[in-house]
Amino acid sequence: MVRRDSLRHLPDRFPLSCQWEITCRCNLRCVMCYTDCFNRTDKIREELTTDQILRIMDELADAGCLELCLTGGEPLARPDFFDLYEHAIVKGFLITLFSNGTLITDTVADRLAALPPHGVEISLHGFTEQTFEAITQVHHSYARCMNAIRLLIERRVPLVLKTTAMTLNRREILDIKRYVQRLGPVGFKLGEDMRPALDGSDGPFRFSLTPEEVETLNRQDPQLSHETCQRQRVPAPPCRSGMRSFHIDAYGCLQICSGNRISGYDLRHGSFKEGFYEYLPTFGCPWKGEAAPILLRPSVMHV
Amino acid sequence: MPIETVYCKNPDFVQRDVAGECILVPIKRRLSDVNSIYVLNDTGAALWNRIDGKRSVQDIHADFFEEYDVTAEQLRQDFETLLADLLSIHAIEEVSVTDGPTR
Repeated sequence: MVRRDSLRHLPDRFPLSCQWEITCRCNLRCVMCYTDCFNRTDKIREELTTDQILRIMDELADAGCLELCLTGGEPLARPDFFDLYEHAIVKGFLITLFSNGTLITDTVADRLAALPPHGVEISLHGFTEQTFEAITQVHHSYARCMNAIRLLIERRVPLVLKTTAMTLNRREILDIKRYVQRLGPVGFKLGEDMRPALDGSDGPFRFSLTPEEVETLNRQDPQLSHETCQRQRVPAPPCRSGMRSFHIDAYGCLQICSGNRISGYDLRHGSFKEGFYEYLPTFGCPWKGEAAPILLRPSVMHV
Repeated sequence: MPIETVYCKNPDFVQRDVAGECILVPIKRRLSDVNSIYVLNDTGAALWNRIDGKRSVQDIHADFFEEYDVTAEQLRQDFETLLADLLSIHAIEEVSVTDGPTR
């Protein structure tokens, strides 16, 4: 048996990896969130139903999709979350769950551990309760998030903690990073980019760091500094979105990626294969260029 | 392994077809294999598809011998390796003919 890091014979265009924003519902009101503008009753009513999601999920599996990232909003805010999650697991998807962590109770953690995801990524936007809750705008959300981190670590669920650097937490980013390092086998991701809200407003940008503030932050940490130098030295690989990865929004719209929703294909009324192979290649993307193939994240054993 | 042995699939493994490759995804993962999936070669996939908890290795061997241009010795060696691999990842388990799967 030979351990491999990629699937062989994968066509250049193949629906390997899906990021699915299954809801814009959320129990928090993070100040920089780009989906929160649709976290309201009238828009929630428009979201895909359980049956619609399960049907589309089956179509993704038939098409060969392997990696499925469930995001939101807060995915666990959907009352049917575990119907969706367990269906996806049984269909053989490798699932990554993006969550704010605050709805992960003992029971939820037990259910996740029973059918473990490929990974859980929790947003940890503050090291102190004061900063965390200044961002989430919900009392006690800090304690609930920290409890979720403990519950998942205890159950050995693969975990990544991530944060977005912004004006409100820029003095705590390195504390968060050091905290994650102390946790042991927990990953850390730092993002710096804000994106406009889904309704087109630029509210989230009010909290963006200036380039000088980002540079100051990176200079304080050898690893961040090194990564920044690497990024500046080696040009970023051209975007591959839409070739082996794609995005589905909470209303069933198939898109190139979560950052490019200019065009979409309605999966409520059309088939996934038609959308991916016939419509997605026609969608415009101002950032797209030629690129080398990416590798699948999980290790692969050839038997 | 004796040729009269019967194997069944572990229901905790899901078979996926991804771009023509036969992949086994463990549903109830141990920490050690949380990042692993398993890709079967053509022979492995054909063997996997014939494992049903009823037919013995000998029965499946006979099927293959009729369908493929291969010597009995080569087939025996391939089976031995593939079954050992599938057993090592707990994708299959031996069936006791009277009592069901042996644990």
